[in-house]
Amino acid sequence: MPGRREFLNTLMRGGILAALGLLSGAVIFRSRDGKSCSYGFDCSGCSRSKSCMLPAALEARQTVWQLDMTKCIQCGRCATNCVMSPSAVKCTHAFAMCGYCDLCGGYFKPGTKILTTAAENQLCPTNALKRKFIEDPFFEYTIDEELCIGCGKCVKGCGAFGNGSLQLQVRHDRCKNCNECSIARNCPSQAFTRVPANKPSLMRGLGKERPGTAAKKGGVDA
Amino acid sequence: MKQKIFIIAGLLLLIAVIGIMFTDLFSGKKQEQTNPYDYKMGEIRKTDSNQTAYTELLTIKPALVEIHAIVNGDGDRIYVAGKNGLEIYKGDGKPDGNFSFEGVASCMAIDKRGKIFIGIQDHVEVFDQIGKPAGKWKSVSPESILTSIAVSNSCVYVADAGKKIVYRYDLNGRLINRIGEKDPQKNVPGFIIPSPYFDLALGKKGELWIANTGRHSLEQFSDEGVLNSAWGEASMAIDGFCGCCNPSHFAFLHDGSFVTSEKGIERVKIYSPKGEFTCIVAPPSAFTEGTRGLDLAVDSKDRIIVLDPERKQVRIFVKK
Ligand code: SF4
Ligand code: SF4
Ligand code: SF4
Repeated sequence: MPGRREFLNTLMRGGILAALGLLSGAVIFRSRDGKSCSYGFDCSGCSRSKSCMLPAALEARQTVWQLDMTKCIQCGRCATNCVMSPSAVKCTHAFAMCGYCDLCGGYFKPGTKILTTAAENQLCPTNALKRKFIEDPFFEYTIDEELCIGCGKCVKGCGAFGNGSLQLQVRHDRCKNCNECSIARNCPSQAFTRVPANKPSLMRGLGKERPGTAAKKGGVDA
Repeated sequence: MKQKIFIIAGLLLLIAVIGIMFTDLFSGKKQEQTNPYDYKMGEIRKTDSNQTAYTELLTIKPALVEIHAIVNGDGDRIYVAGKNGLEIYKGDGKPDGNFSFEGVASCMAIDKRGKIFIGIQDHVEVFDQIGKPAGKWKSVSPESILTSIAVSNSCVYVADAGKKIVYRYDLNGRLINRIGEKDPQKNVPGFIIPSPYFDLALGKKGELWIANTGRHSLEQFSDEGVLNSAWGEASMAIDGFCGCCNPSHFAFLHDGSFVTSEKGIERVKIYSPKGEFTCIVAPPSAFTEGTRGLDLAVDSKDRIIVLDPERKQVRIFVKK
């Protein structure tokens, strides 16, 4: 009996080795043939090309996750679904778009009457959004990333009442670039997408896209 | 026998496991997730229905692809301008003419002779009543975004949200002077226009009013650019102007009262000539959330005409 089992085991090992050999041979042969794809492989003849994980794995090394604000509905899952705690998604500020408004819809709770920095007036649940007086009537808003949990509350307020200069973005110094991003899996608006690692931002309005908003970081409209 | 029972039990177990996996994978039921960080707009959009003194009488649906500007002309004809054209309606909503032009009209005014002045991005184009071009004024700056026009007997006032300034032209398009230009020497702070909403209108006596939206105020200027008076308060409450830049549009009733519209919390309200809140014309619930650019006009019977670019409608409100 042991003899038969040993024979079968050897046969299986041999089979796997032969299959691997054939596969690598085919790959080398095809790439030498000059028909290789951007990953160096020609998958066109392969019956398993659709389910193959190799391109995705290679792509993951060249790309990173980012979220597209034009699709995001600020559902709150960026704060609750990231494997990182707090989330790798943070609020970011496109200063060139900001109105430097006194009554900032992203900073103040709806219905706030007296516009002061008192904690009870602040919309942000972690007080991560900071307000600084520049000159009458301009205020600058910055984000303390250590405190921001990426909940998107301020982003929603800014979009509704202001110019949409507060935006959620995946911060790549914190993101683990998971193969399968757990926010992307649960995002109700498919706002998560892979972007080239060398162009990781999908922020809008970083330049002077909208004429007339010449606000500078820390400055005032010209 | 014992073996058979084991095989059958095993098979049943396998079927049950497959069944559970299948339901879990393919059932349409999505996991319900509530948002613990929800920004509750519902509360601030609520109003006291007793404060709404107007009701919607009529809705007109223009055929234009986009609508951005509205004017009430002679004989209470309603002019609607937008992308690549203009449509005219009678006071009862029946079509009464149209013509096309190239570009997106952002604002419009009509003078006593029936000449139609249309702001297209950075310049003004003039048409007669049948759409024959009667002039194309020089662009002031490529950064200009014209957002409002008003015509008096002798001049045309044009608001430029891009340059944050109001130009006063003669009727032929010759620039006379600039109003509200930032001048630190003279201590003139300039207009604060955080987004492209910058309206102006002529009051009961023909005086010029300008919406300084970043300050949430309506300001009255002389033709020479001297600020005479101002009113307005930043607040989400019904008697104030909400968000970063409101009122986005305004018009006048015949007694000099102000009709205002806002973005952020979409609402149309009336203020007395002194700037005291009087009543609501249309509450936020009358609009689709996120609507911006509710241009306003008033006809000879003080009916309030609201341009709703989101629903692509012209909506006429009358007193209840
Ligand atoms: S999960 Fe998607 S929709 Fe929700 S906040 Fe994040 S990006 Fe926006
Ligand atoms: S409101 Fe949420 S997204 Fe905005 S700064 Fe605070 S924690 Fe960050
Ligand atoms: S890839 Fe991972 S770490 Fe990055 S945002 Fe998604 S879940 Fe968070």
